Amino acid sequence: MANGPGHRMMVFMSKRMIACDEASFLISFREDQRLSFKQWWQLKMHLLSCHLCRKYAHQMGELNHSMNIYRDHCSDEKCTHHLAPEAGSRIGKEISRELNAK
Amino acid sequence: MSETNDHILDPKHWVEKYGDYLFNYAVVRVNDASKAEDLVQETFLAGLKASDRFRGESAERTWLTSILRRKIIDSYRKKYSSRESSFGENEQTVFDADFYRSEEPFRGHWLEGRGPNSYSLLPEGELEQAEFMEFIKLCMEGLKPQLAAAFSMKMIDEEDSETICKELGITPSNLWVMLHRARLKMRDCLEKKWLQ
Repeated sequence: MANGPGHRMMVFMSKRMIACDEASFLISFREDQRLSFKQWWQLKMHLLSCHLCRKYAHQMGELNHSMNIYRDHCSDEKCTHHLAPEAGSRIGKEISRELNAK
Repeated sequence: MSETNDHILDPKHWVEKYGDYLFNYAVVRVNDASKAEDLVQETFLAGLKASDRFRGESAERTWLTSILRRKIIDSYRKKYSSRESSFGENEQTVFDADFYRSEEPFRGHWLEGRGPNSYSLLPEGELEQAEFMEFIKLCMEGLKPQLAAAFSMKMIDEEDSETICKELGITPSNLWVMLHRARLKMRDCLEKKWLQ
């Protein structure tokens, strides 16, 4: 079976199509840069045949969306992290010391 | 107290007024509370030293944030240039043996169990969303410093590629591979932590 038609077809296809590593790279790359026609076509062909990379492409869109939410979530109105009181006090003392030294 | 055109500097109340905001700004980017505290302190002290140069063209908080932003970029650069986090030769290629098969003829195909399992990563409810944000933070903490630096600058600060390359002293090709690897790892981490 290792040398059967199915295997030979797999070898033939693998030499002409990009694999998942390159496809996932192009999915990430297109977030920042415009793909060339060849890259776009290779990715399109790969996505047609690979359900894992289709999921990956979908999840990348979600990751971008999540990072936007994460950034907004941490804006001042919805501040989720607070400076520890001890740290605030220590920094306050440092500022006072600098002000007195001026 | 320094008086300027439209805005004034009031260092005695900086911690009270901007401590939380600046800490939040820093911790989201450096993913280390202790480092973020140090950066906030350095920012205030640098602000004091530079107070004579404050022109009052921006609000006090905006001015302090710009100092902090510079300090964060410096910390990225230090981490980036440190020996332990150097950008290894094997990290300059798209291929990552943690995620893809290496044997022919399947070289570059997803390793079993390392490709995406679910279609969606996102939480459904608002309550879950707060928890999901914690997982994003945890997963960012798990990135190598150089990947975290590039990822934060791109995804949180929305810096353009040219600026990131200039600040980190890397080529665009390095940056794209780094962003790809950071996204791969973030996706993998979120799926494991959040969905399992």
